[in-house]
Amino acid sequence: MKPVMQVFKSTATSCYRDKMFFTILFLFVAFSSFSQQKISGTITDKDNLPLPGVSVLEKNTTNAVTSDFDGKFEINTKGNNAILVFSYVGLKSKEVKSDGKKLKVVLEADVNELTEVVLIGYGSQKKGDVTSAIASVKSEDFVQGNVRDAAQLIQGKVAGLSVSAPSGDPTASSQIQLRGFSSISGGSDPLVLVDGVPGNLNTVAPEDIASIDVLKDGSATAIYGTRGTNGVIIITTKSGSYNSKPTIEYNGYSTVSTISRKMNFLDAGQLREKMAEGYKFIGANNEDFGANTDWLDEITRTALSQTHNLLFRGGNDDTNISASVNYKGAEGIFEKSDNTRLTGRVDVGHSMFDKRLKTNIGFIASEQIYNALGDGTSFNPYIYRQALIRNPTEPVKDANGKWYERDVYFYDNPVGYIEETMGENRARNTRFDFSMSYDFNKYFKLKGVYTRKGNSIMRGFYQTKNHVSTVKYGQDGFASRSAEDYRGNYGEFTLDYKQSFGKHNFTALGGYNYEDNVTEGFFATNRRFPTDAFTYNNIGSGQGLQLGEAGMGSYKNSNTLIAFFGRMTYSYDNKYLFMASIRHEGSSRFGEDNKWGNFPGVSAGWRVNNEEFLSDVKWVNNLKLRAGFGVTGINAGQNYQSLSGLTYGNYFLNDGKWIRELVPTRNANPDLKWEKKEELNFGLDFGFLDDRISGAIDYYSRRTKDALMDYSVPTPPYFYGTIAANAAEITNSGLEILLNVIPVKTENFSWTANLTFSTNKNRIVSLSNDKFQLTNDFFDTGYTGEPIQISTHRVQEGQPIGNFYGLKSVDITDDGIWIIEKPDGTRIPATEATTEDRQILGNGLPTSYYSINNTVRYKNWDMNVNLRGAMDYQILNFSRMFYENPTIAYNTLDSAYDKVYGKAVLNDVQRYVSYYVEDGDFLKIDNITIGFTLPKTSLKFIQALRIYAAGNNVATFTKYKGIDPEVNRQGLDPGNDDRDKYPSTRSFSLGLNITL
Amino acid sequence: MKNLFNQLSFLKKKILYFGLIIIAGLSLSGCTDLNEEVFSEVTESNFVASQSDIVAIMASAYTPLRYVMDWQGLFDVQEEPGDMFVTPTRPNGWDDGGTYKRMHFHEWTKTDWQPRNTWITCFNGINAANRVMLQMESGNFPISEEQKVAILAEMRAVRALYYSILVDTHGNVPIIPNYSDQLPVQNTRVEVYNFIVSELNEVIPQLPSKVDKSTYGRMTQWSAYHVLARVYLNAEVYSGTAQWQKCIEACDKIIQSGLFRKSDSYKAIFSATNETNPEMVFAIPYDQKYAGGFSAHMKMLLPGHRKVFGMETQPWGGSSCNPQFIDTYNPKDNRLKDTWLMGNQYNAENGNVEFVLTKEMPSIYSCDATQGFRCGKYQIQTGATGSLNNDLPFLRYTDVLMMKAECLLRTGQSDAAAQLVTEVRTRSFDNPADAVVTGAELQQNSGFKYGTLAEDGTIDQLGDQSTVQYGRFLDELGWEFAAEARRRTDMIRFGVYQKKNWYNHVPKGDYTTLFPIGLEELNTNKNLKQNPGYL
Repeated sequence: MKPVMQVFKSTATSCYRDKMFFTILFLFVAFSSFSQQKISGTITDKDNLPLPGVSVLEKNTTNAVTSDFDGKFEINTKGNNAILVFSYVGLKSKEVKSDGKKLKVVLEADVNELTEVVLIGYGSQKKGDVTSAIASVKSEDFVQGNVRDAAQLIQGKVAGLSVSAPSGDPTASSQIQLRGFSSISGGSDPLVLVDGVPGNLNTVAPEDIASIDVLKDGSATAIYGTRGTNGVIIITTKSGSYNSKPTIEYNGYSTVSTISRKMNFLDAGQLREKMAEGYKFIGANNEDFGANTDWLDEITRTALSQTHNLLFRGGNDDTNISASVNYKGAEGIFEKSDNTRLTGRVDVGHSMFDKRLKTNIGFIASEQIYNALGDGTSFNPYIYRQALIRNPTEPVKDANGKWYERDVYFYDNPVGYIEETMGENRARNTRFDFSMSYDFNKYFKLKGVYTRKGNSIMRGFYQTKNHVSTVKYGQDGFASRSAEDYRGNYGEFTLDYKQSFGKHNFTALGGYNYEDNVTEGFFATNRRFPTDAFTYNNIGSGQGLQLGEAGMGSYKNSNTLIAFFGRMTYSYDNKYLFMASIRHEGSSRFGEDNKWGNFPGVSAGWRVNNEEFLSDVKWVNNLKLRAGFGVTGINAGQNYQSLSGLTYGNYFLNDGKWIRELVPTRNANPDLKWEKKEELNFGLDFGFLDDRISGAIDYYSRRTKDALMDYSVPTPPYFYGTIAANAAEITNSGLEILLNVIPVKTENFSWTANLTFSTNKNRIVSLSNDKFQLTNDFFDTGYTGEPIQISTHRVQEGQPIGNFYGLKSVDITDDGIWIIEKPDGTRIPATEATTEDRQILGNGLPTSYYSINNTVRYKNWDMNVNLRGAMDYQILNFSRMFYENPTIAYNTLDSAYDKVYGKAVLNDVQRYVSYYVEDGDFLKIDNITIGFTLPKTSLKFIQALRIYAAGNNVATFTKYKGIDPEVNRQGLDPGNDDRDKYPSTRSFSLGLNITL
Repeated sequence: MKNLFNQLSFLKKKILYFGLIIIAGLSLSGCTDLNEEVFSEVTESNFVASQSDIVAIMASAYTPLRYVMDWQGLFDVQEEPGDMFVTPTRPNGWDDGGTYKRMHFHEWTKTDWQPRNTWITCFNGINAANRVMLQMESGNFPISEEQKVAILAEMRAVRALYYSILVDTHGNVPIIPNYSDQLPVQNTRVEVYNFIVSELNEVIPQLPSKVDKSTYGRMTQWSAYHVLARVYLNAEVYSGTAQWQKCIEACDKIIQSGLFRKSDSYKAIFSATNETNPEMVFAIPYDQKYAGGFSAHMKMLLPGHRKVFGMETQPWGGSSCNPQFIDTYNPKDNRLKDTWLMGNQYNAENGNVEFVLTKEMPSIYSCDATQGFRCGKYQIQTGATGSLNNDLPFLRYTDVLMMKAECLLRTGQSDAAAQLVTEVRTRSFDNPADAVVTGAELQQNSGFKYGTLAEDGTIDQLGDQSTVQYGRFLDELGWEFAAEARRRTDMIRFGVYQKKNWYNHVPKGDYTTLFPIGLEELNTNKNLKQNPGYL
C-alpha cells in the first residue's frame, strides 16, 4: 500500500497547487463599502423557491450584495428611497423601490434569448455575455422524423457546421465538418461531450437530448485544447430538476425508407434489344440466359423502422431523477442490413447540507445489434456492386436450385452472397458517472467528476458451403469471430469563483482533467467445417486450424491525456465583456520532450445596445460586437508513433523451418508534437424589433501549423517510406451568417424562418518544414480502384484541399476515343496521353453551404420545412466512370449507349477524365414535418399530445447525375462518389409525443 | 481585506481534505504521468536479444526478395517491357490507367509502380542488411566473433544481390555502405557495378560453401559467384567494358564445386516441391501459408483455370504470350508445352473443355479473355490459392551453363558453347538428335520475326531488320528462361530491346534501358538526379 499512498500524496499536492493559483489570482480584487440605510428581504422564483446568488445592486451606484442560500439578502444603501436592481442568470432582472419594509422579491424566468444559458465548456454563460462563436439548439428546434444520431438533429441549424449522411447504411454515423478542413491526418470529427464527458454521437439516443451547443471558434474551444480544433459539440440530456412535477414522456415514430434514387442499368429487355441491334457483348453480358432478373430489386426492400423513447422525470426539494429507455430498430434498404439499439439512462441528483453539496450519479447503458454481411462490418459493398453489374438475363438460381454462378472475373451472385452469409455484431456500451459539487460560499464552488466508460463488441461471421467462398474459392465454410474491449477513465476537478462588485462581474475557473483509454481485442478465423449448422458458433470444429489455414490475433494499446486549465471572465456594466482561458495539456502519444502543449484563448465583446447613445433606439434590442483568438490542438491519430518498436513480421525459411523475421514497426518520430490551430474570429450578434429579426455574423480565419501528416521519407536512411511528422500548414477562412426572422407572430398564427449561410476557403500553405521537404510541392492521393487504377486528387501547396487532378476530356474521335486537352492547350487522343498531361479538374469541397428552415404554427397545427444546399463544388461520378461505357465486360448504364458530346458512342477503355467530374450544387428538401397538438382542454390526464408526420431527405434538386450529391467530404479525396457506396435513403415517418 | 479573509476562512482544513481526496481519487494513476504503455509490440529500448533473435533479425534482409513474383514485382519489370509478355486490355479490364501499355511501349513515367516497387523493395533489403550489420557490430547481441564475421559477410553478399538488380533497372543509384541517418548520395552505374564486384570478391571466402537445408535460400559462396557471373555477363552494359573471361571464371567455380547439377526434368525445376531440385543455386522460397507473394500466376491465368487446376481461387486473367515469340519455337521443343498453356483447357474433375486458349492477340487495346497463350511453367497444385508453394529458382545451374556458353560464344569458342547449349537442350527433346545445335547455328540471326503486328496478326511495320548478333543464342535464352524475370536484361545485352519492333511496340531510344527514378524518391531525396531521357 505504501507506494500507492505516495502517489496519492504527491498527486494531490501538485494538483492542489494549480487550483490555488487561480483562486488567489482573483481574490486580489477585494472590496468594501460603508452604509446609510439597511434593507433586507428574500428572493424567490415564481414557485416560491428561494434563490441564492442573486445580485442585488443599488441603482446608479456600485453598491451591491448577493443573496445567501435561503435567498435572503441585506444591503446598506447609500441614499434613501434607493432603487434596488435584482438580477440573476436566466431570470428577468427586476427593479424594486425600497419602502423600508422587508422586501419579498419574485424573479420570473426570462424568455428573452439573451438570457438563455449556453454551455461554454466546464460551465455556462448567458447568451448575452458570450464573447465567442457559439451556437445553441434546443430540442424544440431539432430536426424531426427519422434521425439517425445527435448530429442530424441540428442538420442545417448551425452556420458553418455541415452535417451530411452520405451513406444509407443504418449503422453509419453522420459526417460532420466545422469550418472547413483544418487537419490533414487528424480528421474532421469534433469533440462530442455528453453531459460534460467525452462520448460520441450515439452515446445517448437523439430523442433523449434536451439541447446541443456547438463551440465553433478557437477562443471558445481553447479550453478543450486537444480535439478542440474541429469544434466541440456539447450534448445535454433531458435531465430532471429539483421541485418539478413527475412526468412521463413518450416519443415514438415508425419510418418507411426507400432508396433515394436508382441508377438506370440495362434491364433484360433492353439488353436483348441491344443484342438484336447487333451489339456484341463480352464477359458478363455475352449471352442471353433467358431470365428476367432485376438484381437490385432482388437484394433491396422497403425498410421499416421503429423508434420508441420513454422518459420519466421529476424531483422534490432534495432529489431529482430522470430515467429513460430508448429502442431503435432500423432496417436498411438492403436485405439483412439492419441496426437495433437499446439505450437506457438513469440520472439521480441529490442535494444536501443546505443545498451546498450536490451529488449526481448516472448510468448509461446501451446494446447495439446488427447483422454482419461483411466480416466485422454491417454491409459488404461488393454485394451492391454485383447487383448492378450482373447480367439481367441470368436467373437467380439454376435448375437444381443452386445459386446461378459463372466464372467471370470478380462476378458473383449477389443474392447468394447475402443469403449464404450469416453474421451478427453485438456491442454493449456502459457509462457510469459520478459527480459531486460543493458550494463553500456564494463565491466558491468545488466540483469533481468521475466517469468510467466501457464498450465491448462481439462479432460473428459465417459463409456457408453454398457461398462463393466455397463454391469458387474452396473455403469449405468460413467462420470468423472477434471481440474487442474498450475501457476508459475520465476525471475532472474544477474550482469556480464568481463575484460581482457593483458593475464589475468576475468569474474564474481552474481545473484538472485526466483521461485514459485502453483497447484490447482478439480474433480468430477458421475454415473447412464439417457442417454449416454451427455457423460461427463452434469455430474449433473447422479443420483449417490443423491444416494451418486458420487465423488468430490479439492486440492491446493505451493512451493518456492530462490537462490543467483555467478561465476568467470579466464584464463591466453589461457593456464590456472579456474572457481569457488557458489549457496546459499533455498526451502520451507525443515524443518525450513534446508531450505538453499550451492552448490559450482570449475574447472580448462590446454590447453596443447598452451604451447611452443607443438607449433611445428602441428597435435595437441587441447589438454586440465580438472578437476572439484561440489556439487549439490535434492529438496524434495513433498511439506509439514516437516510439521505435520491433515486431515479428513475415516468415523466413531458416534451416527448413519457417521463423518470423524481427523488423522495426515504424519510423519512430521522437520529435512528434502537437498540431496547433490558431483562429481569429470576429462576430456581430444582433436583435431588432423585439427580436423579430435576430442573428449573428461571424468571420473566421484559421491557420493550422505543424499539421501532422504521414510524410514521405527516403528509404534509406528510413526503414519505411512514410513517417508521421509535423510538417504542413493549412489556412481556412470563411463567413457565417445566421438570421432568425419572425415575419408573423399572432396568437393563432406564427411563422418563424431561420436562415444560415456559410462560406469556406481553404489553402495549403506549406507541406514542408526544415526537416521534411518535398522536392515537388505536391503529392497525389485518392484512388479510382481497378481497372482504372490511378490517383484522383492532388494536394499541392498554394492550392485548396480537394482538387481533382486528371485528364481533361474535351471531345471524342469518330471512333469513340476520348480527346484530351493538355495543359498547354494542345489536343491528343487519350490513348497517347500520359500522366504528365493531367490538370486540375475541379474541387470536391463546397465553397458555401446554406439552409432555410421554416416553422409555421396555426392554432394547434405546426409545420416545418427545412431546405439545405451546397454550392460551387464538383463530384467525381464513379458510377458513370465505371458503368457508362459499352466496352466493359459487365452490365452497363443505359446511358453508356448515348453519344458522348453528341458525336460518337464511347469506344475507349474506362478512364478517369473530366467528363465524369460533375457539378455537385444541390438544394435539398431535407425535412418536412406536419404536426397536430391536441388542445389541452380535450385531455384529462395528459399534459400534451402531439402527432406528426415527417419526411426526411424528401427531394433533391441538382444537376448531378449520381444517386446523391452529398458524397464523402472527409479525408484528402473529398468528392469521390464511390460506385459501391451504400445509397442514401428517403424516409417517411409517423410519430407520436405524449406527456403524462 | 476583511472580505477576503472571510472567504478564505471557508477553506477550512476539513474542506481542504475533502478537496484533496477528490483530486487524489481522480488521478490515482498519476497526475502528470504520460509515459506510453506498450503491450503488443516490443520497444527498441526494452528489447533484449537472445540467440534465436539473431536469425529473426537477419531474416528481414531476405524477405523483401519475395516481391520478385508478386504484384508489380521484378517479374513485371523484366517481362512486361520485353517481347514475350503482353498485358492487353480485356473484357474484365486490364487498362489500369494505361500502365501495361506504357510498359509495353517503353513510355513509363516516374509515377509507374513497377519500376518504383523494384527501387523501394531493393532499398528495403539494403537498408535491412545495413541495419543488421550495425546491430551485430553494436555488441548488444550474444554472438561470437566467428558468427559476427559470417553474418557480416552474408549481409554484404545479400546487399550486393539487391544492387545487382538495381544496377540493371535504375543504374545510377546511391551506394549505401553503412547504416546512417544521412540522405543517400547518388552514384553512377559504373560505380555501382564496381561496388558489387568488389564486395562479392571480398566476402566470398567468408561465406558458407556447403549446400544443404541450412543454406537454402541464403547467400553461399556459390550464389555469390552466380551473382558475380551475372554482373560480369552484363558488364559491357553496366560499365562499358565486357568481362566475358571473368564471367567464365565465376561460372567455373560453381561448376567445379560439383555441388549442383542440371535437373533431369525441365518441369521439375518449377514444380511446387522444387526445393530439393539440384539446380537451385539460389532460390527464393515461397509458401502458400507462410511465405505468400508468388502471385504472378493470378495475373496470367483465367478465372476459369480454377476448374482446370482445381484451384481454391479465381485468377484474374491479364498477361499472355506475344504470338511472335510462340512462332520462334521448334515444335519438337517440349519447353513450348512445358511453358505455355495452349488450346483446350480441360476441367480437372470431369474432363470437359472449359475454354480454348488461342494464340492470336489482336491488339494491346483489345483482346478477348481467351486470346493469348498463358504461362503454365510454374506448377499449379490442386487447391492452389493466390500464392503458390513453388520456390522461385532465381539463380539456377542451367543459367551457369548458359552464361558460360554465351561467354564462350562471344569469345570465339562457338563449338564449345554449342556443346553446352546442346547439353541443356537435350532434356527438352524426345529425340536427342533434335536437341543438337552447332556453333555456326548459334552465330545466326534470331528466328524472331521482328515488326509490329496488325490486328490480323500480320506484320504491318517492320522497323529495324538488321541481324541480331548471336541472335540464335538469344532465342535459346528465351526458350530456356521464359517467364523467369530476366527477358529485359537479355534483350538489352543483345541490343534488341532498344532497336526492334515487336507486337505493338516500336523503339523509343537507348535511354529506355534504364527506368526513371520514382517521383516520391526524387521528392524525398534532393541528392537524386533523374536518369537521362526522363522528366
